[in-house]
Amino acid sequence: MERGYWIRSKPVYTALLWNDKATAHAVLAAGDGGLAVLKLFQQALPEQPITVFYSPAGADKDYLPALQAAVDADLRVFATTAELLAAWADYLATARMGLRIYTAGTEKFMWDVTDAAADFGILNQDVMKELTGSLARSVYCVHCKSLTHEVTSNIATCSGCGRQLFVRDHFSRRMGAYMGLMVDAENPGEVPQIEEIYP
Amino acid sequence: MSLAFKQETFRDDYTFRNSPEAIRRFPFPFPEDQYMYSVNIEPHTAGPKGAVTEFTLDVDEHYVAECRDKAITLEQDPGRCASLPHMMDAEWDFLEFTMESLARDYPEQFSLSKNGKAWTWINRPLGIEQSFVFGDAATLPMGPFEYMGRQVQGDFVLLDQREDTLFADAGIVTSQADWSLAFNVGMSWNEWHGPVPQVTKLGVMDRALKFLMSLQQANPVRRLNWTMTINPRLDTSPENYPLWGGDRNKVNEQNAGELAHLRVELQTLFRMPRSNAIVFSIRCYLISMQEMATYPRWAKRFHRVLRDLHPDLVEYKGITKYQQAVVAWLSRFDDGADIGTGTQPE
Ligand code: HEM
Repeated sequence: MERGYWIRSKPVYTALLWNDKATAHAVLAAGDGGLAVLKLFQQALPEQPITVFYSPAGADKDYLPALQAAVDADLRVFATTAELLAAWADYLATARMGLRIYTAGTEKFMWDVTDAAADFGILNQDVMKELTGSLARSVYCVHCKSLTHEVTSNIATCSGCGRQLFVRDHFSRRMGAYMGLMVDAENPGEVPQIEEIYP
Repeated sequence: MSLAFKQETFRDDYTFRNSPEAIRRFPFPFPEDQYMYSVNIEPHTAGPKGAVTEFTLDVDEHYVAECRDKAITLEQDPGRCASLPHMMDAEWDFLEFTMESLARDYPEQFSLSKNGKAWTWINRPLGIEQSFVFGDAATLPMGPFEYMGRQVQGDFVLLDQREDTLFADAGIVTSQADWSLAFNVGMSWNEWHGPVPQVTKLGVMDRALKFLMSLQQANPVRRLNWTMTINPRLDTSPENYPLWGGDRNKVNEQNAGELAHLRVELQTLFRMPRSNAIVFSIRCYLISMQEMATYPRWAKRFHRVLRDLHPDLVEYKGITKYQQAVVAWLSRFDDGADIGTGTQPE
């Protein structure tokens, strides 16, 4: 394809910024997302109540002491992202209109947070996202419908059917995953060089 | 066109063929020697007698065989039909729309009688008679969208309009040009069109969306889209790519006339009354190069279009491997004469 070809389903992630038009703020981060939270708390803080959900799981550095010092708000810490997401679902059940949501971490984590919010009618566009740590992808095998997580290379082995999948840039928000398509379907056995391109 | 339904297959032994009448009415999509994407949307008004646009939905000689092929695909992969929970109103709109238009336009084949909410539907070609209560899904053997989606040729997507865009929140998709409903369901306009090359800089998609957002119930629209397929295979899904992808290696200058098919989609869009959803119908017509060449004007035209197609479109449509073979096969019909504009066969 010509230079400039870009699949528009691939999300663009930006840096977290407070949005003052709110009744409350929820910040959800995991692993290296801790750094994004620290950066957020260096900005002028909004007046409304802030709740921070953080799980250190998967972090390269220990951000917890810095977070505990910097976050002048309700900071809730969880050992695993599963526990964090469970607490997030409980929180959403009691949340009111005007809640602003900020999330940082791996792509999978951010879309898990967004999915949970969608169950309460919160639109994807109202969840601000900052990708941190790794570009690793979740990949949906279009043939056997399994998801393979933590994919860091252009071609991945499907965890369901074992096929070698070419990882496309086509992204489904509902699945939080990129499409994987059998790479050697036209010429069995011809698998291109596998390269680590999503470190 | 007479409705003698053919017995034929779209897989394995591929016995699908077009009759001379079906070739003559083929929706040939190239009015000019060059092709590029454009906002090629026009009113879906009634075309001339016998044309594929004569009626709201076109039923042709392949109706029974195509419905059978669809049933096979759905049996092997029920995920080819999907509908998000909030689409139930749109599903009933779809059932009413398809039943009413088929019964109105093809009274010998289909009939619908209504007694309040108690309806009876008769589909003679498929041997179906069904009494049910409109609005009560429990009185049908399956959801209303899948029920009628199985009884009309082609694919259907139901679009929900919100957040200033359209969402593909339901679909029954068994004859697609290499896109996955299971992956795409729930996506918005820009997301599902994400892989299409060149369109961002042409501004095509933004203008088309703007147009569709204000689509009115009384004014359905249509457009043609096209690609190529090796063998007359309806199910060229990414799901089954391992089954058909290898066929692209088989084409050469000798067999291109038989193996290579032009695949044209007649896409029509209708606004629904209750749900405000849009029904997007994608009807696939296949024609082999040999069949096309029974009208040399078409062979000339397609020779030029395919030879000069933008490389990004060649790649996107999956034609790269066999483009040269087909161009070579078609070249014998092209004396280079000016054939003017228009899609007519002669
Ligand atoms: C609203 C209903 C529509 C739906 C659900 C729809 C869906 C799709 C899908 C799923 C694809 C394949 C993308 C892929 O590669 O994964 C596609 C391709 C495309 N669509 Fe649409 N579409 C719609 C309407 C339109 C309209 C109105 C236009 C008018 C410009 C348009 C223009 C195109 C073009 C140019 C392509 C590339 C086709 C090719 O080269 O084969 N679409 N569409």
